[in-house]
Amino acid sequence: MHLFKKRPAVGLAATAMAAALALVACSGGASTNATTAAPSKITQAAIDAAMKTKTNLTFWTWVPDIKNEVALFQAKYPAIHVDVVNVGQGAAHYQKLRTAIKAGTGGPDVVQVEFQYLPSFTQGGDLLNMAPYGAAGISSDYASWIWSQVSSGSAVYGIPQDVGPMGNLYRKDLMSAARIKLPTTWDEFSQAARTYRAANPHKYLTNMPGNDAGQFMGLMWQAGARPFGYDGKKTVTINLNTPEVAKVIDFWNPLVRDNIIGVDPDFTDPWYQGLASGLYASWQGAAWGPVFLQGTAAKTSGLWSVAPLPQWDTQKPASGNWGGSTDAVLKSTKNPIAASQLALWINTQHEPALMFATKQFLFPASNTILKDPAFVDQKSAFYGGQQVNKDFAAISATVTPNFVWLPFMDYAYSSFNETLGKAFADRTDLATGLKAWRAALTTYATQQGFTVK
Amino acid sequence: MSQTAVARRRPRAVEMQTRKRGGLKRRQAIASYCLVAPFFLVFLTMLVLPLFYSGYLSLFREQLVGGTVFAGVGNYVRALQDHVFLGGVLRMAQFLVIQVPIMLSLALVFALALDSGRLRMQRIIRLTIFVPYAVPGVIAALMWGYLYGPNFGPFAQGARAIGLPTPPFLGNEWMLGSIMNIVTWSFVGYNMIILHAALRSIPTELYEAARVDGAGEFRVAWSIKIPAIRPALLLTTIFSVIGTFQLFNEPNLLRILAPNVIGVGYTPNLYAYNLAFINQDINYAAAIAFLLGIVIMIVSYAVQLGVLRRERRS
Amino acid sequence: MTPQPMAGQPRAGTLPGTSADADDRQPRTGRRRPVGGQRSNVLTIALLACAAYFLLPLAWLVIASTKSNSDLFSTFGLWFAHFNLVGNLRDVFTFQGGIYISWLRNTIFYAVTSGVGAAALATAAGYAFAKLHFPGGNALFAIVLGAIMVPLTALAIPTYLLFSEVGLTNTPWAIILPSLVSPFGVYLMRVYAADAIPDSLLEAARIDGASEARIFFSVALRLLAPGFVTVLLFALVATWNNYFLPLIMLNSPQYFPLTVGLAQWQSTSAAGSGSQALFSMVITGSLVSIIPLVVAFLFLQRYWQSGLATGGIKQ
Repeated sequence: MHLFKKRPAVGLAATAMAAALALVACSGGASTNATTAAPSKITQAAIDAAMKTKTNLTFWTWVPDIKNEVALFQAKYPAIHVDVVNVGQGAAHYQKLRTAIKAGTGGPDVVQVEFQYLPSFTQGGDLLNMAPYGAAGISSDYASWIWSQVSSGSAVYGIPQDVGPMGNLYRKDLMSAARIKLPTTWDEFSQAARTYRAANPHKYLTNMPGNDAGQFMGLMWQAGARPFGYDGKKTVTINLNTPEVAKVIDFWNPLVRDNIIGVDPDFTDPWYQGLASGLYASWQGAAWGPVFLQGTAAKTSGLWSVAPLPQWDTQKPASGNWGGSTDAVLKSTKNPIAASQLALWINTQHEPALMFATKQFLFPASNTILKDPAFVDQKSAFYGGQQVNKDFAAISATVTPNFVWLPFMDYAYSSFNETLGKAFADRTDLATGLKAWRAALTTYATQQGFTVK
Repeated sequence: MSQTAVARRRPRAVEMQTRKRGGLKRRQAIASYCLVAPFFLVFLTMLVLPLFYSGYLSLFREQLVGGTVFAGVGNYVRALQDHVFLGGVLRMAQFLVIQVPIMLSLALVFALALDSGRLRMQRIIRLTIFVPYAVPGVIAALMWGYLYGPNFGPFAQGARAIGLPTPPFLGNEWMLGSIMNIVTWSFVGYNMIILHAALRSIPTELYEAARVDGAGEFRVAWSIKIPAIRPALLLTTIFSVIGTFQLFNEPNLLRILAPNVIGVGYTPNLYAYNLAFINQDINYAAAIAFLLGIVIMIVSYAVQLGVLRRERRS
Repeated sequence: MTPQPMAGQPRAGTLPGTSADADDRQPRTGRRRPVGGQRSNVLTIALLACAAYFLLPLAWLVIASTKSNSDLFSTFGLWFAHFNLVGNLRDVFTFQGGIYISWLRNTIFYAVTSGVGAAALATAAGYAFAKLHFPGGNALFAIVLGAIMVPLTALAIPTYLLFSEVGLTNTPWAIILPSLVSPFGVYLMRVYAADAIPDSLLEAARIDGASEARIFFSVALRLLAPGFVTVLLFALVATWNNYFLPLIMLNSPQYFPLTVGLAQWQSTSAAGSGSQALFSMVITGSLVSIIPLVVAFLFLQRYWQSGLATGGIKQ
């Protein structure tokens, strides 16, 4: 049959172009910033009313089995329905979050944000200040080094969920076979590494990866270095020139150069195999480390132990932190009350918070849980019956305060891999790598409009 | 042509012919537009529109502090001075001149072998060479990543067993070659099938004369078959060139295993991706992607011109 | 649309199964016997060795699928350990509430829909470019060809931003719509249509008074079927293996295709607190995900052969 008339292709193109320009003009591309000022405090009545209103929340998190804690929340507040979505782990999660924020739609209400990334979101004004919603009153339950990372003045941007104080996870059997006493200072550690390597020419006492800035930052943290500063607005401090940083770099430089320690990237298949097969006799890991080993190094069960990190100054035992998350609320949420209550409830109520610690083996940030016998007394067969939690709780108390992150840690970690991390991997001079990292960070900060001090 | 044939058949209807001719043209035009419209609708919305938007984005600059400002060609100037970008392009050029000839030569050899009819188990061989194409890049990287492993991969274990040093597949010097291997493994079969189909379409008369004259299989292949499928070879080359410059999957996935060897800008496509998602620099990423497109166009046309010139000479 | 080297056309102007002039064709069935050729063992062995190289990684995958997590890390890679395939399969299909099955279903759905859609669009456009004359035809075709060179990253984020304007992100449409564009498919169909459909046939139909629509649907389509299938298959494979586009567009795991889902399982082992090691599942899941496509290729091969052979028989 005869076909109806249609505009020629050129006309179609023109229409599409017009549509394109219209869309572009409308979207603008800027992230939405709520213009309403935060109310001083939400009344309990308002909260109660909101929690009885039928609401749908989206919660982006990768914590496994968090549905259990959320189920408890939903049992308490049946009117609130929570959709728990795992959009990816780590970097993938943040990429999606940032893209959604940029697009202005498609983001969640509540979202898991690790401590080091909080400033990157507060810098853009993307997070809701939860202080008026009840978050102001919980600060006493957290160590100052934890609370300082989630708050800015009186504002609270994240509810701490779990942390990662660093300790020394080591293979007792391998060390005693090489006749090495557990090192308590870094000097002893350096000696032990050389002795171990001499006794086992194909193995290493430990591994320092070139792709894990988080771990290395934790060690710098322990040494008292405070390489980063951010005033919350336009000024950043990049202070990688300090004696504390140099102390750490100079410690690892000879070990890396002389092939005394491994430099394999971590959290890869070969690295797991290394741990399982005894290629590395120890791991300066975090409190969440034990769970990992139980999964992948099951054959070595019973052979591991936990001790504090080697110390710089045995008179003042210190540790650093590696990882740990908070739950935050996006400013663009349509349900600020319900969302903030979700974040608060699952992390501060005793039952769900204890579940995180005892069932999912997240190391608790809350002092209450840290003292709870159900948590503290847990014995671990993997660690030869050691009460691992008790030891890490003691370590947690020694983490030094006031560590600050840059508002662009995504870039900082990525450029670490290209500079200082690469120096580790290639076994070249770490000081040169450090300088390159500093330069990259400064260039980026200036390019992005920050003032660098 | 066909119009005049019809006219010859019906001389009475000359006037009707004229109207029919005009009507035919119009009907054809309308039908054409209707047929291409669906494709172009999707083409415009899914390709042209985002492309223009991307171009628009590339003219701006966004800072974490200070918002978005118009930057004109600033991003392009920055890209042309960016040693990471230029390094990536050079690396791809290196990849191109080594991997593409090797892969296509292998594909050609396999295709000729299959076409020669001298092979037993032809079907099985063809299938096994082709199977890697069915494997998604994610899984191919997973498999090869294991095989390349410096501690637990079979090559490493084998080398250690006979006392040789472990081949550093994932090390700085060998990484590009390792990626070339994965790409070749994945796509030789694919190109082989295409070339094989081209070979099968060569009329047999062309060989019969040669064979009667006593030419052996190699001679036939070199002098008759290969020249006959030159257009197919050219096209597989062009598309391999385009694919090379767009290399993304393999380096992106191997980056997990060797994060310090594969940097953010190992390939230009990877650079654009990381700029967009790690540096949050969509505008600069868009400029890089555009420049990459231009590079691809230049190289493709250069290859085409080179081949045409050679053909004209011979 | 994937950043892959895409197929080449056997001969510009000719297609396997057709000769240079569409009106002057010879049947192409019953392809050559080796002329004076005995089967060569040397050649066979050489090629079998090459085939072994192509199978090596897959062999590893099969072997590794039979191992449990801890065995994976402590036994020699290219030989078996304690046989745990059933356990692994069970884990794959029941983990996270059987989400793997959703991924499998999604992948099939996206691939088939995109494949059919892309082939349909490409066939219509290719036929029009080849057989119908209309103003602007050459220019439009040149634009289509140029599109093949566009790097995907130039489009990913703008497409995401545009899609989120209309609320299409995190839906199946976000995967299917962009996959319907196959500039290469249009090129392929144009060449195929130019060969497979003799102008005389079209003229005769026009003289008989058939409208262009009827000509296309009743006459041309039948002749274009093998080319349609070819484009369908290429588009299907491209969508099946696509990783980048769904990675950007989708947030909810229930919409993931297998590529993104498996990659997510893989990276689950690589984050800080709150991670699990899922290698045996990733590996077994990968093996299962390859099987449908390999099996499909086995059938596809037969179809291709017959399609290519019958494509030439006319009138």
